[in-house]
Amino acid sequence: MKHKMSFIATVLCVLCLLSQSILRSAASSPHNQFLGIAPEDEKYYKSSEVIKCKDGSKKFSRAQLNDDFCDCSDGTDEPGTSACPGGKFYCRNVGHAPLQLFSSRVNDGICDCCDGSDEYDGKVNCPNTCWKAGKVARDKLKKKIATYQEGVAIRKQEVEQAKVSMAKDEAELSKLQSDQKTLKLLVEQLRERKEQIEKAEERERLQKEKEEQEKKEAEEKAKQENSGGEDQEKTKAEEEAKKEKSEDVEDGSAEDKPIESQHDDNVGNLDDSHSYQDTAEKHDDLGTEDGSIDTPEHIGSLVDGVQQEAVKQKKESVATSEPDFDGGSKVPHDEGDDASENTESLSKEELGRLVASRWTGEDTTKESGEVDVTKDSDHEDHEELPKETHDEQSDGYASETDDDNQKYDDEDHEDEADDDFGVEDHSDSGSSYKYESDTDSDLSDVTTPSNPSWLEKIQNTVRNILHVVNIFQTPVNQSEAASVRKEYDESSAKLSKIESRISSLTQKLKHDFGPDKEFYSFYGRCFESKQNKYVYKVCPYKQASQEEGHSTTRLGSWDKFEDSYKVMIFANGDKCWNGPDRSLKVRLRCGLKNEVADVDEPSRCEYVALLSTPAICLEEKLQELQHKLDLMNKEQPHAHDEL
Amino acid sequence: MKKTQTMNNLTLLLLLLLLTCHLSPVLSWKKDEFRNCNQTPFCKRARARNPGSSSLTVQDAAISDGELTAKLVPKRIEQEETSPDQIKPLLLTLSAYQDGILRLRIDELDPPRKRFEVPDVVLPEFEGKKLWLQRLSTETIDGDAAPSSVVFLSDGYEAVLRHDPFEVYVREKRGNRVISVNSNGLFDFEQLREKKGEGEDWEERFRGHTDKRPYGPQSVSFDVSFYGADHVYGIPERASSFALKPTRGPGVEESEPYRLFNLDVFEYIHDSPFGLYGSIPFMISHGTARGTSGFFWLNAAEMQIDVLGDGWDAEAGIALPSSQSRIDTFWMSEAGIVDAFFFVGPGPKDVARQYASVTGTPAMPQLFAVAYHQCRWNYRDEEDVEQVDSKFDEHDIPYDVLWLDIDHTDGKRYFTWDRMLFPHPEEMQRKLAAKGRHMVTIVDPHIKRDDSYFLHREATEKGYYVKDANGNDYDGWCWPGSSSYLDMLRPEVRSWWATKFSTENYVGSTPSLYIWNDMNEPSVFNGPEVTMPRDAVHRGDAEHREVHNAYGYYFHMATADGLVQRGDGKDRPFVLSRAVFAGSQRHGAIWTGDNTAEWDHLRVSVPMILTLGLTGISFSGADVGGFFGNPEPELLVRWYQLGAYYPFFRGHAHHDTKRREPWLFGEKNTQRMREAIHTRYMLLPYFYTLFREANTSGVPVARPLWMEFPSEEATFTNDEALMIGNSLLVQGIYTEHAKHTSVYLPGKESWYDVKTGAAYKGGKTHKLDVNEEGVPAFQRAGTIIPRKDRFRRSSTQMVNDPYTLVIALNSSQAAEGELYVDDGKSFEFQQGSYIHRRFVFADGKLTSLNLAPGQTQFYSECVIERIILQGLSTGQKSALIEPANQKTEIEQGPLLLHSRQGPTVLTIRKPNVRIADDWVIKIF
Repeated sequence: MKHKMSFIATVLCVLCLLSQSILRSAASSPHNQFLGIAPEDEKYYKSSEVIKCKDGSKKFSRAQLNDDFCDCSDGTDEPGTSACPGGKFYCRNVGHAPLQLFSSRVNDGICDCCDGSDEYDGKVNCPNTCWKAGKVARDKLKKKIATYQEGVAIRKQEVEQAKVSMAKDEAELSKLQSDQKTLKLLVEQLRERKEQIEKAEERERLQKEKEEQEKKEAEEKAKQENSGGEDQEKTKAEEEAKKEKSEDVEDGSAEDKPIESQHDDNVGNLDDSHSYQDTAEKHDDLGTEDGSIDTPEHIGSLVDGVQQEAVKQKKESVATSEPDFDGGSKVPHDEGDDASENTESLSKEELGRLVASRWTGEDTTKESGEVDVTKDSDHEDHEELPKETHDEQSDGYASETDDDNQKYDDEDHEDEADDDFGVEDHSDSGSSYKYESDTDSDLSDVTTPSNPSWLEKIQNTVRNILHVVNIFQTPVNQSEAASVRKEYDESSAKLSKIESRISSLTQKLKHDFGPDKEFYSFYGRCFESKQNKYVYKVCPYKQASQEEGHSTTRLGSWDKFEDSYKVMIFANGDKCWNGPDRSLKVRLRCGLKNEVADVDEPSRCEYVALLSTPAICLEEKLQELQHKLDLMNKEQPHAHDEL
Repeated sequence: MKKTQTMNNLTLLLLLLLLTCHLSPVLSWKKDEFRNCNQTPFCKRARARNPGSSSLTVQDAAISDGELTAKLVPKRIEQEETSPDQIKPLLLTLSAYQDGILRLRIDELDPPRKRFEVPDVVLPEFEGKKLWLQRLSTETIDGDAAPSSVVFLSDGYEAVLRHDPFEVYVREKRGNRVISVNSNGLFDFEQLREKKGEGEDWEERFRGHTDKRPYGPQSVSFDVSFYGADHVYGIPERASSFALKPTRGPGVEESEPYRLFNLDVFEYIHDSPFGLYGSIPFMISHGTARGTSGFFWLNAAEMQIDVLGDGWDAEAGIALPSSQSRIDTFWMSEAGIVDAFFFVGPGPKDVARQYASVTGTPAMPQLFAVAYHQCRWNYRDEEDVEQVDSKFDEHDIPYDVLWLDIDHTDGKRYFTWDRMLFPHPEEMQRKLAAKGRHMVTIVDPHIKRDDSYFLHREATEKGYYVKDANGNDYDGWCWPGSSSYLDMLRPEVRSWWATKFSTENYVGSTPSLYIWNDMNEPSVFNGPEVTMPRDAVHRGDAEHREVHNAYGYYFHMATADGLVQRGDGKDRPFVLSRAVFAGSQRHGAIWTGDNTAEWDHLRVSVPMILTLGLTGISFSGADVGGFFGNPEPELLVRWYQLGAYYPFFRGHAHHDTKRREPWLFGEKNTQRMREAIHTRYMLLPYFYTLFREANTSGVPVARPLWMEFPSEEATFTNDEALMIGNSLLVQGIYTEHAKHTSVYLPGKESWYDVKTGAAYKGGKTHKLDVNEEGVPAFQRAGTIIPRKDRFRRSSTQMVNDPYTLVIALNSSQAAEGELYVDDGKSFEFQQGSYIHRRFVFADGKLTSLNLAPGQTQFYSECVIERIILQGLSTGQKSALIEPANQKTEIEQGPLLLHSRQGPTVLTIRKPNVRIADDWVIKIF
């Protein structure tokens, strides 16, 4: 008992001593009272003995500065310790760039500042690596500046180019608009004349009919036979005859039209399929009325039209069949949703796959096929559970690890994005091409001053025709009527071409090409990137897709720019099973060529890609970078060594 | 013509069906895929029996080897010509253990085949707590024809074996009953027998699956009554209310018993008696009249339990054996024996302790495991991992563990890596470890049947797989496709499995890697009810039907053992399991499985966690955000705010969902989630202390209110709020755009809002305004909570950080609290290497007392930098620290450092006393 007491006393005594020493040493406050303060802030702390918390909540004494106890909830009093969760620690990092850390990094055993100033409690030793790291960073920065310098120049050219092209577009548009006005008038006149002719013809026809009718009635009276049935037949026959006639007229014009328009002007090229279709439709109508036989050309064009229509439909169905297909893959799952699902008829394996598919959402039927084929192969699993983008990504990753930060979030991390610059030697097989070049060149030909007279020509022709044709003449002069019709058809076709060009131009010009129209050249272009088995196609202002062999998955239609033109959004792509509609976010970064790289799917069916382009190599950014480099060099005592 | 018409109609219908199905993914719980009681012959038979149908009587009751043994014999053998199997008596054993635990065992006397007894669940040391019964007294009860046997149980309790009619119960000495078995005469024990000729068909069929049932009917069922009970709780796992609703009786609509059968239920729904991934056949009753008692039936076969509502037996007209109020329950199991434990309480924590003495207390987790976990199916590759990891730092959000789901493997072959995606797993783990972070990879029990896979080859050669009814290796279907399942019932298979976790054997693993066991119900996609056929065969010819509910338990156990071995017994394992059985708490954490991003699932997570805690599983949590579906940002934020208080705190999501890491929903929401996670990190010292309390006492970390306030009836059915330890009450917010909520604050003392510091009176319901910044949480007056207010990248960097003590004084200006600290990693705490302090504030003095026995070997320099005083009635200005005899100031300081507009409170500034020391701080 006595022993115990004395033992306790000793322990207590030792504890006293210990705790006293602890009281002095416990606080891990820094030796330098102004640690963690940015140079521009030092005045704030040094000016007086009583310092205000920056948020004005409180005041603290100089002794409380960096005393390892949080007095200001905004962390003003503890810039150099971890005491305030809201605080920031500044490291100078001489030789490299200064850094602001969350105060939670101070004395946490991890070296965050290259000068090691964030770890001073003696638990870890952080060597100063600023010189080495700084050199790497400066080199990187220099490289980046070089790219920017070149990029800025390219951008300037492009902006100039865009201005010219846009002016051209606008000029074309206004020219077309005035042409449209004139042409509209002519077409109107021709239409009126054509209708007059048709009325005259109709009158003529009725007259003839009446005459024949009378004749017939007379004959019939004479015959007195089974009138009803024959009557009908005859009228039908008559009608046919009449139709044939009118067709002949139309045929003439229709026959010539494609050929002539091709010869005559470029507008005709614009929308050939359209005109074929129109004709085809007309003939279609007629065809249903009576089975009369067309001229070979007509059959040709008819078939053509039908085929084109079919092709078009097919295309559409290819585009839309993706969601359908997905829907198909859902079938087993969704059947599962039905409480009355009959799983008893399934084989054990089918049942296993079916149940697994609830979680994975995979197509059990497709999978089973694949598994059968690859059952013994080593990489069975890769086939078995296709994870869309797994394979191709691993390539890109190794080279671009620094780039990560910008990938997943919407926030502005320009700095990081810019840090990883080395665009030039990017290994991805990107390419770009134009998809609208035909129409562009064609129409511009139409409107160039080189053939200024086509409209005048038409005007003259029309004037002549209108002069010559006498609509009050009976019977109607067939050749005159035909030329009116022909002229009408040609002009109205031309008009519709002009109108469609106008609308496509207006559509184009409505787009947001950026503050300096720097994205103008993106219009009508696609950028491709091949990543393993997939080809990613990014067509700004249009759509983005992922192609694998012949199957195409739409990743989204053009939506807009975001994040002050640093991001392009493609939205409402093909439906994803159990997920959102596919979408693609393309992050832009300054580069010398337009190249898509690093397509990724961080979240199911939400794709991201990088596009390097001179379009965002901004002058201001270049200056900023240069300033940054200057600062780094200035802080660097032996800056000259580097050169 | 007509045909095509119908065809068209059919296609249309199909299309429509597709459409509607797709629009309502919520309703995809496949109820029909699982058997209900009527489709389960043993359940149907048992439920059809009438009260009083049991005809057993007790014979030959005697004390032998310190136990009471007896035979159960049917009453009317001599009068009637009965078949030979019915005259075979049953053997009954009653044994008493320390702390008022009664164990009842009933088995066949001489069965043709040994019935299955669940091994390795009851602690080996439990046998050492057995009381050596010396004598048996007899007593005639209620004018019975035969006298009954009575034995001593504990100071206040006796066990009674009533002979005729047969009944077993525990009673207070010569007084009220506590728990009884067979009071309603529903006891039935189907003894193993020969087929009655070839005509008898024992096979059972369900949805195309045939169960050969070679041993025929062998179910066991009986009624259990809890006396003086207002409610019964427990028997997880299901997504339903905390207090168990009656399943039979007047007014019960959907009459399905609570099912205990471990199943992988796709998109489970909330508020359903349907059983999920785990089974713990342990029920707890609680009421004002009697307090708390518990009943545990150690049996791993499918079990169905009815809670019988008042008047369930009205037609039978059986008289109550006692005037006491009670809750009757009916327990039915497909196979096995009766091996049941009665726990007398009388308090909730007593029952927790008693149950833990049978099945063990929760393992002490490593400190990192108590912090925040970030998971997703799947972080796809090393770049993704690096990306997510760096984003946490960028947004100053701490986290401790990054998880990899099944797709990190080479074709779902566990212990392998998809080298395309994870070419450098060691380096990846080392990078995380450099920031004090850990990684968890998934290892499931299904082994891909692929001859080039080393595990499959070895397991096949060694014959370690579960066999099918024909004696071949059972071949089921799971993630890898065709798979077999290790027979984890066999200790040699478990030891073999454990060796697979060494860093040499698990190529690409490092010591900072820990394990996740999923699908261990076991989940078998093409099996009956998505699990293994009941006629599959385990060690010693045990059938899967007998082992089923414990399969995942053995797997969990073997995995945890593997991690212990990997660390030479010096590193505490961390293994998360989905399947649960009684005793799982010894092996690791549990999560509530594949929940859904819906408000109702957020709500039901609380009763699920409370139930698991009550049945011993302290370390549990629900997937924050909901596994399936995309939570609205508000729901996600609310989930983080509540999830920060789950004992196991992990964000997880299905691979079809959008990314939902905390920084993806705008700065405001990022701030809210950051604060929720910070709250958890701030409270880590408190949580860790509670985990230690659970580890020593069995009392769970997350508790129902009535565990702390057992006599307050208002708390009995409250499952929207939970207590974290004895000091914190947390109420979730379970509705969208909530502006108000009602919170019942029990007890006589006040409660302090942890964010505003506002005081609320106890013993009443408060209508509170709520905002999106947090969920209501209160510190009970009279408690002291230890915190760490500095936030780091992970808990690892917080080790040396100073503490804050938050003292909430009660009406007598007193408060108490504890702090437990050890190295956070090793088992040295078991040798006394820890700091355990009790802080007592009374008479204007805060005293730190040592709770550790003897001199601690654990050393810590950590100090207390701040002491917050709430509820101090007088205006003290200074504090004197003894024995240093140093003065320090009391001033107004922030209640929460990270909340800029927070309130100010009385703060003792920089006392800087060490947590390892004895000291006193006087305020004046």
